[in-house]
Amino acid sequence: MADTLFYILAAGTLACGMGVVTARMPLFSVLSLLGSLFCLSAIYLLSGFQFLAATQLLVYAGAIMVLFLFVIMLLNLGDEAELQGHLGFSLSGKKGLIAGATALSLGLVGVVGAGYSTPFVANPAYERGVDDLNALATVLFSRYALPFEAASLLLLATMIGVITLAKRQRTTDAGAHPQSAPPSTDGETAA
Amino acid sequence: MPLPLVWLIKVVLIYGGLITVAAAMSLAERKVSAWIQWRVGPNRVGPWGLLQPVADGVKFIFKEELVPEGANQTLFRLAPILSAVPPMLAVAVIPFAGEVSIGGHVTTLSIADLDISTLYVVAIGGLGIYGVILGGWSSNSKYSLLGGLRASAQMVSYELSLLLSILVVVVLSGTLDLRQIVNDQAGPIFAWNIFALPVGPIAFLLFVIATFAETNRHPFDFAECEPELVGGFHTEYSSMKFALFFLGEYCAMTVMACLTTVFFLGGGNIPWWPDAPWLLELTCFLSKMGFFLFLFLWVRWTLPRFRFDQLMALGWKVMLPIAIANVFVTGALLSLGWFA
Repeated sequence: MADTLFYILAAGTLACGMGVVTARMPLFSVLSLLGSLFCLSAIYLLSGFQFLAATQLLVYAGAIMVLFLFVIMLLNLGDEAELQGHLGFSLSGKKGLIAGATALSLGLVGVVGAGYSTPFVANPAYERGVDDLNALATVLFSRYALPFEAASLLLLATMIGVITLAKRQRTTDAGAHPQSAPPSTDGETAA
Repeated sequence: MPLPLVWLIKVVLIYGGLITVAAAMSLAERKVSAWIQWRVGPNRVGPWGLLQPVADGVKFIFKEELVPEGANQTLFRLAPILSAVPPMLAVAVIPFAGEVSIGGHVTTLSIADLDISTLYVVAIGGLGIYGVILGGWSSNSKYSLLGGLRASAQMVSYELSLLLSILVVVVLSGTLDLRQIVNDQAGPIFAWNIFALPVGPIAFLLFVIATFAETNRHPFDFAECEPELVGGFHTEYSSMKFALFFLGEYCAMTVMACLTTVFFLGGGNIPWWPDAPWLLELTCFLSKMGFFLFLFLWVRWTLPRFRFDQLMALGWKVMLPIAIANVFVTGALLSLGWFA
Protein backbone atom coordinates (compact mmCIF):
# COMPACT_ATOMS: atom_id res chain seq x y z
CA MET A 1 0.00 0.00 0.00
CA ALA A 2 2.69 2.46 1.09
CA ASP A 3 4.89 1.35 -1.82
CA THR A 4 2.12 1.85 -4.36
CA LEU A 5 1.33 5.26 -2.93
CA PHE A 6 5.00 6.17 -3.07
CA TYR A 7 5.28 5.26 -6.75
CA ILE A 8 2.12 7.19 -7.59
CA LEU A 9 3.40 10.25 -5.73
CA ALA A 10 6.88 9.93 -7.21
CA ALA A 11 5.38 9.76 -10.70
CA GLY A 12 3.28 12.79 -9.84
CA THR A 13 6.34 14.70 -8.63
CA LEU A 14 8.22 13.94 -11.82
CA ALA A 15 5.28 14.67 -14.10
CA CYS A 16 4.69 18.02 -12.43
CA GLY A 17 8.42 18.74 -12.58
CA MET A 18 8.32 18.11 -16.32
CA GLY A 19 5.33 20.43 -16.49
CA VAL A 20 7.40 23.23 -14.94
CA VAL A 21 9.87 23.27 -17.83
CA THR A 22 7.50 22.38 -20.67
CA ALA A 23 4.54 24.67 -19.89
CA ARG A 24 4.08 27.51 -22.36
CA MET A 25 2.65 29.93 -19.84
CA PRO A 26 4.70 30.96 -16.80
CA LEU A 27 1.62 30.69 -14.61
CA PHE A 28 1.24 27.02 -15.46
CA SER A 29 4.92 26.48 -14.65
CA VAL A 30 4.30 27.85 -11.18
CA LEU A 31 1.21 25.69 -10.74
CA SER A 32 3.14 22.61 -11.87
CA LEU A 33 5.86 23.43 -9.35
CA LEU A 34 3.15 23.71 -6.74
CA GLY A 35 1.86 20.25 -7.67
CA SER A 36 5.37 18.87 -7.53
CA LEU A 37 5.91 20.34 -4.05
CA PHE A 38 2.62 18.85 -2.91
CA CYS A 39 3.55 15.36 -4.07
CA LEU A 40 6.97 15.70 -2.46
CA SER A 41 5.37 16.80 0.78
CA ALA A 42 3.06 13.78 0.65
CA ILE A 43 6.12 11.55 0.20
CA TYR A 44 7.67 13.11 3.32
CA LEU A 45 4.43 12.40 5.15
CA LEU A 46 4.51 8.82 3.93
CA SER A 47 8.02 8.39 5.33
CA GLY A 48 6.91 9.74 8.71
CA PHE A 49 8.43 13.19 8.45
CA GLN A 50 5.34 15.15 9.45
CA PHE A 51 7.26 18.26 10.43
CA LEU A 52 9.19 18.39 7.17
CA ALA A 53 5.98 17.89 5.16
CA ALA A 54 4.14 20.71 6.95
CA THR A 55 7.12 23.05 6.71
CA GLN A 56 7.46 22.31 3.01
CA LEU A 57 3.84 23.29 2.44
CA LEU A 58 4.03 26.31 4.72
CA VAL A 59 7.22 27.80 3.31
CA TYR A 60 7.12 26.86 -0.35
CA ALA A 61 3.44 26.47 -1.21
CA GLY A 62 2.18 29.06 1.27
CA ALA A 63 4.68 31.85 0.78
CA ILE A 64 7.26 31.47 -1.98
CA MET A 65 4.88 30.28 -4.69
CA VAL A 66 2.47 33.10 -3.85
CA LEU A 67 5.36 35.50 -4.38
CA PHE A 68 6.13 33.89 -7.76
CA LEU A 69 2.49 34.23 -8.78
CA PHE A 70 2.55 37.86 -7.66
CA VAL A 71 5.53 38.64 -9.89
CA ILE A 72 4.03 36.83 -12.87
CA MET A 73 0.72 38.63 -12.47
CA LEU A 74 2.43 41.97 -11.87
CA LEU A 75 4.31 41.67 -15.16
CA ASN A 76 1.18 40.07 -16.65
CA LEU A 77 3.28 37.50 -18.49
CA GLY A 78 1.20 35.77 -21.11
CA ASP A 79 3.56 33.34 -22.77
CA GLU A 80 7.22 32.76 -23.46
CA ALA A 81 7.56 35.51 -26.05
CA GLU A 82 6.62 38.15 -23.50
CA LEU A 83 8.95 36.57 -20.98
CA GLN A 84 11.81 37.02 -23.44
CA GLY A 85 10.91 40.64 -23.85
CA HIS A 86 10.96 41.18 -20.12
CA LEU A 87 14.07 39.24 -19.24
CA GLY A 88 16.09 39.74 -22.41
CA PHE A 89 17.01 36.09 -22.73
CA SER A 90 15.34 32.78 -23.43
CA LEU A 91 15.89 29.37 -21.90
CA SER A 92 14.45 27.44 -24.82
CA GLY A 93 16.21 25.11 -27.23
CA LYS A 94 19.89 24.41 -26.86
CA LYS A 95 20.41 26.62 -23.84
CA GLY A 96 17.55 24.87 -22.03
CA LEU A 97 19.07 21.49 -22.88
CA ILE A 98 22.46 22.54 -21.51
CA ALA A 99 20.91 23.99 -18.34
CA GLY A 100 18.80 20.87 -17.84
CA ALA A 101 21.74 18.53 -18.41
CA THR A 102 23.89 20.52 -15.96
CA ALA A 103 21.16 20.45 -13.30
CA LEU A 104 20.63 16.72 -13.87
CA SER A 105 24.32 15.87 -13.60
CA LEU A 106 24.69 18.03 -10.49
CA GLY A 107 21.72 16.22 -8.96
CA LEU A 108 23.20 12.83 -9.86
CA VAL A 109 26.54 13.83 -8.31
CA GLY A 110 24.67 14.82 -5.16
CA VAL A 111 22.70 11.58 -4.98
CA VAL A 112 25.73 9.39 -5.66
CA GLY A 113 27.82 11.38 -3.19
CA ALA A 114 25.17 11.02 -0.53
CA GLY A 115 24.96 7.31 -1.29
CA TYR A 116 28.71 6.85 -0.78
CA SER A 117 28.95 8.92 2.37
CA THR A 118 25.99 7.42 4.22
CA PRO A 119 25.09 3.75 3.89
CA PHE A 120 21.50 3.12 2.81
CA VAL A 121 20.36 1.36 5.99
CA ALA A 122 17.41 2.46 8.04
CA ASN A 123 18.63 4.33 11.07
CA PRO A 124 16.76 2.82 14.03
CA ALA A 125 16.46 6.21 15.73
CA TYR A 126 14.81 7.70 12.65
CA GLU A 127 12.63 4.74 11.81
CA ARG A 128 9.43 6.70 12.44
CA GLY A 129 10.93 9.91 11.09
CA VAL A 130 12.58 12.80 12.88
CA ASP A 131 9.35 13.93 14.42
CA ASP A 132 10.76 14.63 17.84
CA LEU A 133 10.98 18.39 17.46
CA ASN A 134 13.13 18.82 20.55
CA ALA A 135 15.73 16.43 19.15
CA LEU A 136 15.54 18.11 15.75
CA ALA A 137 15.99 21.57 17.28
CA THR A 138 18.84 20.40 19.50
CA VAL A 139 20.71 18.89 16.56
CA LEU A 140 20.00 21.89 14.35
CA PHE A 141 21.20 24.45 16.87
CA SER A 142 24.21 22.54 18.25
CA ARG A 143 25.84 20.14 15.82
CA TYR A 144 24.63 21.84 12.65
CA ALA A 145 24.58 25.39 14.02
CA LEU A 146 27.42 26.53 11.76
CA PRO A 147 25.96 25.26 8.43
CA PHE A 148 22.55 26.55 9.52
CA GLU A 149 23.88 30.04 10.19
CA ALA A 150 25.98 29.92 7.02
CA ALA A 151 22.88 29.14 4.97
CA SER A 152 20.98 32.05 6.48
CA LEU A 153 23.98 34.32 5.87
CA LEU A 154 24.00 33.18 2.25
CA LEU A 155 20.33 34.09 1.92
CA LEU A 156 20.98 37.48 3.48
CA ALA A 157 23.87 38.09 1.09
CA THR A 158 21.64 37.12 -1.85
CA MET A 159 18.94 39.49 -0.68
CA ILE A 160 21.38 42.40 -0.34
CA GLY A 161 22.86 41.57 -3.74
CA VAL A 162 19.48 41.56 -5.41
CA ILE A 163 18.51 44.86 -3.81
CA THR A 164 21.81 46.42 -4.90
CA LEU A 165 21.35 45.21 -8.48
CA ALA A 166 17.75 46.37 -8.63
CA LYS A 167 18.63 49.79 -7.22
CA ARG A 168 21.50 50.28 -9.66
CA GLN A 169 19.23 49.40 -12.57
CA ARG A 170 16.69 51.94 -11.46
CA THR A 171 19.26 54.73 -11.08
CA THR A 172 20.65 54.10 -14.58
CA ASP A 173 17.11 53.96 -15.96
CA ALA A 174 16.31 57.27 -14.39
CA GLY A 175 19.58 58.69 -15.70
CA ALA A 176 18.88 57.48 -19.25
CA HIS A 177 15.42 59.03 -19.30
CA PRO A 178 15.65 62.18 -17.25
CA GLN A 179 12.16 63.16 -16.20
CA SER A 180 11.42 66.73 -15.45
CA ALA A 181 9.02 67.24 -12.62
CA PRO A 182 5.58 68.26 -13.93
CA PRO A 183 4.89 71.90 -13.19
CA SER A 184 2.70 72.30 -10.18
CA THR A 185 -0.71 73.59 -11.08
CA ASP A 186 -2.06 73.51 -7.55
CA GLY A 187 -1.15 77.11 -6.86
CA GLU A 188 -2.76 78.30 -10.09
CA THR A 189 -6.04 76.52 -9.56
CA ALA A 190 -6.11 77.70 -5.99
CA ALA A 191 -5.49 81.22 -7.17
CA MET B 1 -20.25 0.86 18.22
CA PRO B 2 -17.35 0.30 15.79
CA LEU B 3 -14.57 2.86 15.77
CA PRO B 4 -15.00 4.00 12.12
CA LEU B 5 -18.59 4.94 12.96
CA VAL B 6 -17.35 7.11 15.82
CA TRP B 7 -15.01 8.87 13.40
CA LEU B 8 -17.84 9.30 10.93
CA ILE B 9 -20.04 10.87 13.60
CA LYS B 10 -17.29 13.32 14.53
CA VAL B 11 -16.62 14.25 10.90
CA VAL B 12 -20.32 14.79 10.16
CA LEU B 13 -20.81 16.79 13.36
CA ILE B 14 -17.82 19.08 12.86
CA TYR B 15 -18.27 19.64 9.12
CA GLY B 16 -22.02 20.00 9.46
CA GLY B 17 -21.33 22.57 12.15
CA LEU B 18 -18.83 24.41 9.96
CA ILE B 19 -21.22 24.66 7.00
CA THR B 20 -24.02 25.76 9.34
CA VAL B 21 -21.80 28.47 10.82
CA ALA B 22 -20.84 29.62 7.30
CA ALA B 23 -24.51 29.80 6.28
CA ALA B 24 -25.41 31.59 9.50
CA MET B 25 -22.59 34.06 8.89
CA SER B 26 -24.04 35.00 5.51
CA LEU B 27 -27.24 35.98 7.32
CA ALA B 28 -25.43 37.51 10.29
CA GLU B 29 -23.39 39.71 7.97
CA ARG B 30 -26.56 41.35 6.69
CA LYS B 31 -28.35 41.37 10.02
CA VAL B 32 -25.41 42.94 11.87
CA SER B 33 -24.84 45.50 9.13
CA ALA B 34 -28.54 46.41 9.27
CA TRP B 35 -28.38 46.64 13.04
CA ILE B 36 -25.32 48.89 12.96
CA GLN B 37 -26.82 51.09 10.25
CA TRP B 38 -30.21 51.31 11.99
CA ARG B 39 -32.04 49.22 9.39
CA VAL B 40 -34.12 46.03 9.67
CA GLY B 41 -32.17 43.73 7.35
CA PRO B 42 -33.56 40.56 5.73
CA ASN B 43 -36.90 39.74 7.37
CA ARG B 44 -39.08 38.25 4.61
CA VAL B 45 -37.97 34.61 4.43
CA GLY B 46 -38.92 32.75 7.58
CA PRO B 47 -39.18 34.23 11.05
CA TRP B 48 -36.64 37.05 11.56
CA GLY B 49 -35.25 36.22 8.11
CA LEU B 50 -33.76 32.98 9.40
CA LEU B 51 -34.38 31.04 6.20
CA GLN B 52 -32.58 33.63 4.07
CA PRO B 53 -29.43 31.45 3.61
CA VAL B 54 -31.64 28.63 2.26
CA ALA B 55 -33.32 31.01 -0.16
CA ASP B 56 -29.89 32.29 -1.23
CA GLY B 57 -28.67 28.74 -1.81
CA VAL B 58 -31.66 27.91 -4.01
CA LYS B 59 -31.16 31.14 -5.94
CA PHE B 60 -27.46 30.43 -6.47
CA ILE B 61 -28.18 26.95 -7.82
CA PHE B 62 -30.73 28.20 -10.34
CA LYS B 63 -28.74 31.19 -11.57
CA GLU B 64 -27.10 31.08 -14.98
CA GLU B 65 -23.44 30.19 -14.92
CA LEU B 66 -21.37 32.61 -16.95
CA VAL B 67 -17.80 32.00 -18.03
CA PRO B 68 -16.18 35.01 -19.74
CA GLU B 69 -15.04 34.36 -23.29
CA GLY B 70 -11.37 35.18 -22.78
CA ALA B 71 -11.16 33.36 -19.47
CA ASN B 72 -8.90 30.41 -18.84
CA GLN B 73 -11.53 27.68 -18.65
CA THR B 74 -9.72 25.21 -16.39
CA LEU B 75 -8.44 27.66 -13.82
CA PHE B 76 -11.67 29.65 -13.85
CA ARG B 77 -13.56 26.53 -12.76
CA LEU B 78 -10.83 25.33 -10.39
CA ALA B 79 -10.40 28.60 -8.47
CA PRO B 80 -13.62 28.55 -6.38
CA ILE B 81 -12.86 24.97 -5.31
CA LEU B 82 -9.31 25.91 -4.34
CA SER B 83 -10.74 28.75 -2.30
CA ALA B 84 -13.28 26.66 -0.38
CA VAL B 85 -11.44 23.40 0.31
CA PRO B 86 -8.33 24.48 2.30
CA PRO B 87 -10.17 26.19 5.18
CA MET B 88 -12.44 23.14 5.43
CA LEU B 89 -9.40 20.87 5.69
CA ALA B 90 -7.81 23.15 8.28
CA VAL B 91 -10.75 22.80 10.66
CA ALA B 92 -9.94 19.09 11.09
CA VAL B 93 -7.36 19.68 13.82
CA ILE B 94 -9.18 22.30 15.89
CA PRO B 95 -9.66 20.91 19.43
CA PHE B 96 -13.25 21.96 20.18
CA ALA B 97 -13.50 20.21 23.54
CA GLY B 98 -11.72 17.66 25.70
CA GLU B 99 -12.64 14.00 26.02
CA VAL B 100 -16.07 12.89 24.87
CA SER B 101 -17.70 9.48 25.12
CA ILE B 102 -19.40 8.47 21.85
CA GLY B 103 -21.05 5.03 21.88
CA GLY B 104 -18.68 3.70 24.56
CA HIS B 105 -15.50 5.09 22.95
CA VAL B 106 -13.70 7.83 24.81
CA THR B 107 -12.36 10.19 22.18
CA THR B 108 -11.39 13.83 21.79
CA LEU B 109 -13.70 16.28 20.04
CA SER B 110 -11.52 17.01 17.04
CA ILE B 111 -11.23 15.04 13.82
CA ALA B 112 -7.46 14.55 14.09
CA ASP B 113 -4.91 15.13 16.83
CA LEU B 114 -1.54 15.82 15.23
CA ASP B 115 1.75 16.58 16.98
CA ILE B 116 2.24 19.47 14.59
CA SER B 117 -1.35 20.65 14.28
CA THR B 118 -0.30 24.31 14.55
CA LEU B 119 1.89 23.97 11.47
CA TYR B 120 -0.77 21.92 9.69
CA VAL B 121 -3.52 24.44 10.20
CA VAL B 122 -1.36 27.39 9.08
CA ALA B 123 0.11 25.51 6.11
CA ILE B 124 -3.22 24.20 4.81
CA GLY B 125 -5.23 27.29 5.70
CA GLY B 126 -2.74 29.48 3.86
CA LEU B 127 -3.41 27.68 0.59
CA GLY B 128 -6.88 29.22 0.33
CA ILE B 129 -5.28 32.31 -1.19
CA TYR B 130 -4.60 30.39 -4.42
CA GLY B 131 -8.31 30.38 -5.15
CA VAL B 132 -8.43 34.16 -4.94
CA ILE B 133 -5.26 34.68 -6.97
CA LEU B 134 -6.14 32.19 -9.71
CA GLY B 135 -9.74 33.36 -9.82
CA GLY B 136 -8.50 36.89 -10.35
CA TRP B 137 -6.01 35.89 -13.00
CA SER B 138 -8.14 33.45 -15.00
CA SER B 139 -11.12 35.82 -15.34
CA ASN B 140 -9.26 37.85 -17.96
CA SER B 141 -10.59 41.08 -16.54
CA LYS B 142 -8.47 43.97 -15.31
CA TYR B 143 -10.49 44.39 -12.14
CA SER B 144 -10.16 40.72 -11.27
CA LEU B 145 -6.44 40.73 -12.05
CA LEU B 146 -5.87 43.73 -9.78
CA GLY B 147 -7.87 42.02 -7.04
CA GLY B 148 -5.82 38.84 -7.30
CA LEU B 149 -2.59 40.84 -7.41
CA ARG B 150 -3.50 42.72 -4.27
CA ALA B 151 -4.54 39.51 -2.51
CA SER B 152 -1.18 37.86 -3.17
CA ALA B 153 0.86 40.89 -2.02
CA GLN B 154 -1.26 41.24 1.08
CA MET B 155 -1.04 37.55 1.89
CA VAL B 156 2.76 37.46 1.68
CA SER B 157 3.04 40.60 3.84
CA TYR B 158 0.76 39.57 6.67
CA GLU B 159 1.61 35.86 6.79
CA LEU B 160 4.90 36.83 8.46
CA SER B 161 3.29 38.75 11.31
CA LEU B 162 0.73 36.00 11.73
CA LEU B 163 3.38 33.29 12.02
CA LEU B 164 5.57 35.34 14.36
CA SER B 165 2.67 35.99 16.73
CA ILE B 166 1.86 32.27 16.70
CA LEU B 167 5.52 31.61 17.43
CA VAL B 168 5.19 33.51 20.72
CA VAL B 169 2.41 31.14 21.78
CA VAL B 170 4.42 28.12 20.63
CA VAL B 171 7.45 29.29 22.61
CA LEU B 172 5.31 29.89 25.70
CA SER B 173 3.67 26.46 25.52
CA GLY B 174 6.69 24.61 24.18
CA THR B 175 4.61 22.56 21.76
CA LEU B 176 3.10 22.65 18.28
CA ASP B 177 0.09 20.56 19.31
CA LEU B 178 -3.08 22.68 19.48
CA ARG B 179 -4.61 20.40 22.14
CA GLN B 180 -1.48 20.71 24.24
CA ILE B 181 -1.59 24.50 23.86
CA VAL B 182 -5.19 24.47 25.11
CA ASN B 183 -4.37 22.19 28.05
CA ASP B 184 -1.49 24.49 28.93
CA GLN B 185 -3.94 27.33 29.51
CA ALA B 186 -6.18 25.45 31.96
CA GLY B 187 -6.70 26.82 35.47
CA PRO B 188 -7.17 30.48 36.43
CA ILE B 189 -7.97 33.02 33.73
CA PHE B 190 -4.40 34.36 34.01
CA ALA B 191 -3.17 31.11 32.47
CA TRP B 192 -4.59 32.24 29.12
CA ASN B 193 -1.87 33.29 26.74
CA ILE B 194 -3.43 36.72 26.25
CA PHE B 195 -2.56 37.41 29.90
CA ALA B 196 1.06 36.22 29.56
CA LEU B 197 2.40 39.69 30.28
CA PRO B 198 4.07 41.54 28.67
CA VAL B 199 4.21 39.65 25.36
CA GLY B 200 0.79 37.96 25.31
CA PRO B 201 -1.44 40.99 24.62
CA ILE B 202 0.91 42.26 21.90
CA ALA B 203 0.95 38.88 20.15
CA PHE B 204 -2.84 38.70 20.48
CA LEU B 205 -3.31 42.10 18.89
CA LEU B 206 -0.90 41.32 16.04
CA PHE B 207 -2.60 37.97 15.45
CA VAL B 208 -6.09 39.45 15.29
CA ILE B 209 -5.00 42.21 12.88
CA ALA B 210 -3.20 39.66 10.72
CA THR B 211 -6.27 37.39 10.61
CA PHE B 212 -8.29 40.25 9.16
CA ALA B 213 -5.69 40.67 6.42
CA GLU B 214 -5.33 36.92 5.83
CA THR B 215 -9.05 36.40 5.34
CA ASN B 216 -9.31 39.48 3.09
CA ARG B 217 -11.80 41.05 5.44
CA HIS B 218 -12.52 44.68 6.02
CA PRO B 219 -10.58 46.99 6.65
CA PHE B 220 -8.13 45.02 4.49
CA ASP B 221 -10.52 43.69 1.82
CA PHE B 222 -8.46 45.00 -1.09
CA ALA B 223 -9.03 41.87 -3.13
CA GLU B 224 -12.69 42.87 -3.47
CA CYS B 225 -12.75 46.59 -2.73
CA GLU B 226 -16.10 47.39 -4.35
CA PRO B 227 -15.62 51.14 -4.88
CA GLU B 228 -12.36 50.64 -6.80
CA LEU B 229 -12.52 47.20 -8.43
CA VAL B 230 -16.26 46.50 -9.00
CA GLY B 231 -16.10 43.12 -7.25
CA GLY B 232 -12.37 42.48 -7.29
CA PHE B 233 -11.31 38.90 -7.87
CA HIS B 234 -14.89 37.61 -8.15
CA THR B 235 -16.16 40.27 -10.58
CA GLU B 236 -16.74 37.70 -13.34
CA TYR B 237 -18.16 34.95 -11.15
CA SER B 238 -21.82 34.07 -10.84
CA SER B 239 -24.10 31.38 -9.38
CA MET B 240 -22.59 28.56 -7.28
CA LYS B 241 -19.00 29.48 -8.16
CA PHE B 242 -19.54 32.87 -6.57
CA ALA B 243 -21.17 31.17 -3.58
CA LEU B 244 -18.15 28.88 -3.18
CA PHE B 245 -15.85 31.90 -2.81
CA PHE B 246 -18.05 33.15 -0.03
CA LEU B 247 -18.26 29.73 1.58
CA GLY B 248 -14.46 29.69 1.54
CA GLU B 249 -14.25 33.16 3.06
CA TYR B 250 -16.67 32.35 5.87
CA CYS B 251 -14.96 29.02 6.58
CA ALA B 252 -11.59 30.79 6.70
CA MET B 253 -13.03 33.33 9.12
CA THR B 254 -14.38 30.50 11.29
CA VAL B 255 -10.99 28.77 11.31
CA MET B 256 -9.26 32.03 12.25
CA ALA B 257 -11.78 32.69 15.03
CA CYS B 258 -11.16 29.13 16.32
CA LEU B 259 -7.39 29.69 16.20
CA THR B 260 -7.61 32.98 18.10
CA THR B 261 -9.62 31.17 20.75
CA VAL B 262 -7.17 28.28 20.93
CA PHE B 263 -3.98 30.33 20.92
CA PHE B 264 -4.92 33.18 23.23
CA LEU B 265 -8.20 32.53 25.07
CA GLY B 266 -7.57 29.02 26.37
CA GLY B 267 -9.76 27.16 23.84
CA GLY B 268 -12.67 25.49 25.63
CA ASN B 269 -11.21 26.05 29.09
CA ILE B 270 -13.52 27.61 31.66
CA PRO B 271 -11.45 29.72 34.11
CA TRP B 272 -10.93 28.13 37.54
CA TRP B 273 -12.84 25.00 36.44
CA PRO B 274 -10.23 22.76 34.78
CA ASP B 275 -12.36 19.62 34.44
CA ALA B 276 -15.71 20.97 33.35
CA PRO B 277 -18.05 18.61 31.44
CA TRP B 278 -17.38 18.54 27.70
CA LEU B 279 -20.69 20.09 26.72
CA LEU B 280 -19.89 23.19 28.79
CA GLU B 281 -16.38 23.27 27.33
CA LEU B 282 -17.81 23.10 23.82
CA THR B 283 -20.29 25.88 24.60
CA CYS B 284 -17.49 27.97 26.04
CA PHE B 285 -15.36 27.38 22.93
CA LEU B 286 -18.21 28.22 20.58
CA SER B 287 -19.11 31.42 22.42
CA LYS B 288 -15.50 32.64 22.30
CA MET B 289 -15.40 31.71 18.61
CA GLY B 290 -18.73 33.48 18.09
CA PHE B 291 -17.36 36.64 19.63
CA PHE B 292 -14.46 36.74 17.16
CA LEU B 293 -16.81 36.03 14.25
CA PHE B 294 -18.91 38.95 15.45
CA LEU B 295 -15.76 41.06 15.68
CA PHE B 296 -15.16 40.46 11.94
CA LEU B 297 -18.62 41.88 11.19
CA TRP B 298 -18.42 44.64 13.75
CA VAL B 299 -15.14 45.93 12.31
CA ARG B 300 -16.40 45.64 8.75
CA TRP B 301 -19.38 47.89 9.32
CA THR B 302 -17.58 50.34 11.61
CA LEU B 303 -14.13 51.11 10.24
CA PRO B 304 -13.27 52.72 6.88
CA ARG B 305 -11.05 50.84 4.45
CA PHE B 306 -7.28 51.43 4.45
CA ARG B 307 -5.42 52.65 1.38
CA PHE B 308 -3.26 49.97 -0.24
CA ASP B 309 0.06 51.70 0.51
CA GLN B 310 -1.10 52.15 4.11
CA LEU B 311 -1.76 48.42 4.27
CA MET B 312 1.75 47.64 3.06
CA ALA B 313 3.32 50.21 5.40
CA LEU B 314 1.40 48.80 8.36
CA GLY B 315 2.38 45.23 7.50
CA TRP B 316 6.08 45.73 6.82
CA LYS B 317 7.06 48.81 8.84
CA VAL B 318 4.91 48.48 11.94
CA MET B 319 3.65 44.96 12.51
CA LEU B 320 6.67 42.97 11.36
CA PRO B 321 9.27 44.79 13.53
CA ILE B 322 6.98 44.62 16.56
CA ALA B 323 6.34 40.92 15.93
CA ILE B 324 10.06 40.12 15.63
CA ALA B 325 10.90 42.13 18.77
CA ASN B 326 8.06 40.36 20.56
CA VAL B 327 9.51 36.94 19.74
CA PHE B 328 12.95 38.03 21.00
CA VAL B 329 11.51 39.40 24.24
CA THR B 330 9.54 36.19 24.75
CA GLY B 331 12.65 34.08 24.31
CA ALA B 332 14.69 36.29 26.63
CA LEU B 333 12.03 36.34 29.35
CA LEU B 334 11.52 32.60 29.06
CA SER B 335 15.21 31.89 29.53
CA LEU B 336 15.23 34.25 32.55
CA GLY B 337 12.40 32.21 34.11
CA TRP B 338 9.80 35.01 33.92
CA PHE B 339 6.90 32.70 32.98
CA ALA B 340 7.64 30.03 35.60
